[in-house]
Amino acid sequence: MNVTVNRTKVEIFEGAQAQHAVLRYLVHRHLAQSWLKRGRIQDAYGHQIGLDAPLREGQIIKFKIR
Amino acid sequence: MKKLLLTLAAACLLASAAFAEKKEIHIVSINDMHAKIENFPQFAAVIDSLRAIYPELLIFSAGDNRTGEPLNDLYEIPAYPMVALMNQIGFDATTLGNHEYDGGQANLAKLINLSNFPYLACNIIPDPKWGINVLPYKVFFVNELRVAVIGATQVGPAGHPDTHPDNCTDILFTPVEETLQEYKWLRDESDVVILLTHIGYEEDVELSKYVPWADLIIGGHSHTQVAGGEFHNDIMITQDINRLERVTFITLTVENGKVIDRKAKNIEIAGYPKQNKIVAEMVRYFSDNPAFQRQLATLTAPMTTYEELGCMMTDAWRVETGSDIAFTNTGGVRYDYLPAGPFTVSDVLRLDPFGNTVIQLQLTGQELKDMLIATHYADISYGFPKVSGIICDVVFDKKDNTKIKDLKITNPDGSKFDLKKTYQVVTNSYTAAIAKSPRKDQGRDLNRTTAAVIQEYLEHQGTIDYTGTQRVFQSISKK
Repeated sequence: MNVTVNRTKVEIFEGAQAQHAVLRYLVHRHLAQSWLKRGRIQDAYGHQIGLDAPLREGQIIKFKIR
Repeated sequence: MKKLLLTLAAACLLASAAFAEKKEIHIVSINDMHAKIENFPQFAAVIDSLRAIYPELLIFSAGDNRTGEPLNDLYEIPAYPMVALMNQIGFDATTLGNHEYDGGQANLAKLINLSNFPYLACNIIPDPKWGINVLPYKVFFVNELRVAVIGATQVGPAGHPDTHPDNCTDILFTPVEETLQEYKWLRDESDVVILLTHIGYEEDVELSKYVPWADLIIGGHSHTQVAGGEFHNDIMITQDINRLERVTFITLTVENGKVIDRKAKNIEIAGYPKQNKIVAEMVRYFSDNPAFQRQLATLTAPMTTYEELGCMMTDAWRVETGSDIAFTNTGGVRYDYLPAGPFTVSDVLRLDPFGNTVIQLQLTGQELKDMLIATHYADISYGFPKVSGIICDVVFDKKDNTKIKDLKITNPDGSKFDLKKTYQVVTNSYTAAIAKSPRKDQGRDLNRTTAAVIQEYLEHQGTIDYTGTQRVFQSISKK
């Protein structure tokens, strides 16, 4: 399925959680995976969501380093 | 005189109407606890404090009470610790999250029977043979008010909640919004109508357009941290981030059978300074789980390398899912020595502690080769992946021994590996996320943890011996 992380389209497996999309985004951006634990994930409306929040096709999320 | 008395009586009636008593309902809502039992002593202390002020406090869970913590999920009756803790705290109701189905129909029926609170979901019709006792709604009588709570469970694109399909066999799920409309009549019968949903924040916002007769949606599923309560289409929506970090305290003010004010605020649980001692003792009891020492298989010889343990792990995933090939990032193999003797549940959880799930993909030989290389580079500090169903000869660059110069894959019998053939491949969710390589199929989550699959494999094998097993051969280029 396709989701968007910080305006970057990411293709990820069906049933992926927010952390999986962010990991793929970090790999795509050549950033260390350890950033995952140091950032905050938000939905399209700016709400914080959990690392293991379920994702669905077309979802938009943001990853912000704290 | 008579006229004066009548006038006075009328005035009194008017005055009583004008000063009709305002009544409050107090609710603590929580969602997606995912068996974070360590936070229950603090959570119970928060509830104790609120109950001291509001004795008729209602406590509702919007589902996904279980799954995510082996202490709970691997208990003798899987997920029973959460039920026991929720009973102790005195939950009033929960809806069914998609993970409530993870233990299968019989386990769900058993957990519901052990619960002192009802499970509410209007859009589920289980076959009677399962004995799954779910109510569509319940009306609570609180502070002389009628509070109707209607439950709704998540239905994914496959037509059932996001869990393994086998867990939903012979359970009919109906569309949330349409089914909820069948309970609109509760508006006329109640002072307050609450929807207890496990469908996700955005879906709750969408739903609010179609249920103007509801006062409040207590939501779950998307692990969304809503600041207090948000109003959408004049309905208040609440939800908290998962794993009992926060709960929401809601106050509804009712006058003349109508909700005239709705307030909500979040309460931090994780850092709360007090604990309920009884609940803390229960958590200690459940944490000392004898089920973790249960022997799954006998190891006839010690396992002494990451390679041997990685081979066993990937064999487990390949065999138990009926796949052709399995592989894992080497960082996913957490120790390199296990003495001969019993192979216990605890050993499996130490070996594979991350809660990863099994991802199944359809890959051509070439796509698999690319994915193995991508996994190596994404997990470079641990080295080349561990595999099952293939043999890998990896040649590293002479000048940079982390750089792969050549990868030759062969079948286990030494025959040529077909790069054009399509194989059913399994890996873990972490590897599937970090391996960025060209492939048509990104795969799908089988909704089974990799650790649980290893346990099944060991139980099926009885005895195992991986002495000297090696499938990845590494060398340095001479040129």
